[in-house]
Amino acid sequence: MPGLQVLQNKLGPAFSGYTGKTNRYGREKMRVDPDLHFIKYMKSAGGDTLKKCFQCATCSVMCPLSTDENPFPRKQMVFAQWGMKEQLIADPEVLLCHNCGDCTAYCPRGAKPGDVLGSIRAYMYTHYGWPNGLAKMVSEPKMLPMTIALPAIIITLMLFISQMGSHDAWIPTVQGLKDHGFGSFFGHWDFKWLSKNVAFIDAIMLPAVGLAVFSLFKGVSNMWSAMEKRCDINPSFRPSAKQFVTEFLVPSVKEIIAHNRFRECTENADRVRGHRPLMYAFIGLAIVTAYSAFKQDVLGAFIPSMHGPLSLIDPFKILANVSAIAMIVGVGILWGNRAAAEEKNGVTPTYFDWFLLYEIMAVGVTGISAELTRLIGIPPLAYAVYYLHLVSILMLFLYLPYTKFAHLVYRTFAMAFERYRNSSFVK
Amino acid sequence: MTDSSSGAVLVVGGGISGLTAALEAAEVGKDVFLIEKNAFMGGRVSQLNQYFPKLCPPSCGLEIQFKRIRANRNIRMYNMTTVKAISGSAGDFEVTCTTAPRYVNNNCTCCGDCSAVCADECDNDFNFGMDKAKAISRPHDMAFPAKYVLNKEACSDDTLAAIKSACKMNAIETEMAEQEFTVNVDSIIWATGWVPYDVSKLTNLKPDSSSAIISNMQMERLAAPSGPTGGQILRPGDGKEPASFGFVQCAGSRDENHLEYCSYICCMATMKQITYIRERYPDAEIYVFYIDLRTPGKYEKFREKVSADEKVHFIKGKVADIQAEDDGGVTLIAENAMTGAKVNQKVDLCILATGMEPAAKAQAAALGLDIDSSGFIISNPEAGHISCGCAKKAADVVTSAQSATAAAMKAIQAGR
Repeated sequence: MPGLQVLQNKLGPAFSGYTGKTNRYGREKMRVDPDLHFIKYMKSAGGDTLKKCFQCATCSVMCPLSTDENPFPRKQMVFAQWGMKEQLIADPEVLLCHNCGDCTAYCPRGAKPGDVLGSIRAYMYTHYGWPNGLAKMVSEPKMLPMTIALPAIIITLMLFISQMGSHDAWIPTVQGLKDHGFGSFFGHWDFKWLSKNVAFIDAIMLPAVGLAVFSLFKGVSNMWSAMEKRCDINPSFRPSAKQFVTEFLVPSVKEIIAHNRFRECTENADRVRGHRPLMYAFIGLAIVTAYSAFKQDVLGAFIPSMHGPLSLIDPFKILANVSAIAMIVGVGILWGNRAAAEEKNGVTPTYFDWFLLYEIMAVGVTGISAELTRLIGIPPLAYAVYYLHLVSILMLFLYLPYTKFAHLVYRTFAMAFERYRNSSFVK
Repeated sequence: MTDSSSGAVLVVGGGISGLTAALEAAEVGKDVFLIEKNAFMGGRVSQLNQYFPKLCPPSCGLEIQFKRIRANRNIRMYNMTTVKAISGSAGDFEVTCTTAPRYVNNNCTCCGDCSAVCADECDNDFNFGMDKAKAISRPHDMAFPAKYVLNKEACSDDTLAAIKSACKMNAIETEMAEQEFTVNVDSIIWATGWVPYDVSKLTNLKPDSSSAIISNMQMERLAAPSGPTGGQILRPGDGKEPASFGFVQCAGSRDENHLEYCSYICCMATMKQITYIRERYPDAEIYVFYIDLRTPGKYEKFREKVSADEKVHFIKGKVADIQAEDDGGVTLIAENAMTGAKVNQKVDLCILATGMEPAAKAQAAALGLDIDSSGFIISNPEAGHISCGCAKKAADVVTSAQSATAAAMKAIQAGR
């Protein structure tokens, strides 16, 4: 059976299914234990067409990112059909796929390899996500109310704690909003070294970011060693941390920023127009956040006037506003693009994809709305919108490792792995 | 069934299926009207170099059928004729047919005097446009009926005058008009056959980018002694003798975007064409890219024989991209599923093994016949419509002839 031969050639000695016995054709017998739950998961997460694949390999040729040595996604499709989970979650090609849909457009059987690979990526983020319970909750459409409730409860609880024993009205006057912006959202105290608002925001966001960073570190480490094992890599010399960063990680990040691979896609080339502004928006907002934290938390401790909203003509505020608009425009383009792909090319709509689009849209829209209502001066509305903004931001950070947002880290490292695999350390 | 029922049968299509169905019905005494769109009988089979698996020329089977037709007074045969409209129902059809003008009458003796003076040429459809034909010519060497046909649109007035005066038999009637006639029949056998799938639709294979990319039916014509190269297999365009060949199986077949079914014959056609190549170019390397090789039943033996040949290389993986090369060849790109790596195979001549598309797809739908999602006509003897051969499903010659005999049986039963 050719299928078995294919697997024997590509699974490598690390594959545990080899029995050591040979069949009557002299080939080594192997045992495949299909993971039925895994197949079921892929089918539920957009990969419902995977069994239609008949292994013609049109996809591997049509894919502009597929290389001569490691073409995909034909192989991934047979692994998926056979429920070979361990192979797929350790497969760099699954992450190297940019989901442009060229394979799906030319697939003669409507097996939609692009959608199947997307469902495997969704599974990977849940699989590598820590703590697993949280990862599972976020990936499960049924749990959406809980997924939204969790950050909302955290913010509400913190708000409630911040207001305990306070006699001032929570919602400020128009003048108060104008002077302090949302700087007194969590109240005010007279401790000079750290304002109450900053303390509460840090208390909410820093643990969430810390959890995300830890989860991603753990996930990427596990993924990396699984990939090494799958590709049968046992180098005598390992790269140092510095070599790793300069030779593998930095070139990958540069490639990502330039969007080189994205631009290879033909069916869905338009996505670059959405993804690039969105990525720049996140970079811009990260810079503004870092500056703002430095100004409020560090400088603010010595110079009280550093607290309060940035002036509209402050360069950082301009960067913030431009980024916010870029974010909404970018995610809007991706939104429209995805809707069109579903309409025209039969791409399967999934929770995995739409959750992130909605989430980023929520962050952008609430952010801009909070700023506008503040500038116009409608304190109750401004505070309500700001509350929603905080909830959506907490969602973004807290769930980063488990949602599609995780591609930011996992794909970057998969690209670094590809460089590593082709480097002199391995070859 | 009414008492006025004639018991007659209309057979639409004069290829191997239509000829067989018409003969089987006529030889048990039925009146048969046999209409054929082309100027000659024999259909696709007459374009082949050889049949598989016996590798005999098509004249083998066709000549016997033609002889039987000539000997049978029950068959009335009309060329260049198509169905225009159908009224009535099973047992009492009135079918309106139209015959396009041939501009050559029955006086023609195929002397060739007209062709000799004809200055105008047109694309030779019989050879899939790989050469030119005189605007007045015999459709092909074996054409039955043996009569010339004139392509009036391709001719200047001077040419028309010249060929008319060259004909000693007074056979050329340039003012011949389209004719319409009706026939009353009990049942209709649809043997409308197939057309090769249009390769220009296979955009990812870029068939127009190089003259080194041909279809399997073009390969038949190249290998046929009556073909454009007299049976030498030369690359169209530059006439080079190819040193390597690549067969692209399932080109547009088993594909939702093109023909969603397997055409059954293309794998065997490729195996057969490999024998043409091995005969003429013993040193040529031959690469066959496939998804699965489908050579059912007794054809397995043929495949085994071809597969054992060391010059023939089988690669499991569909060609999804073709790049034209500067030297006139092409590079075929596929993933070899057995090794898991991509293959970039340069060849001098690439043959796209295209499938069969039902020829009467649009016409059958317009006439209100039952057709399946691919355009094949569904046989419905109760309604008086019986399909056979490749009008019914993609099939080889043997299966077509069998289904034609079966269709004749149904037609006989329909007329009591």
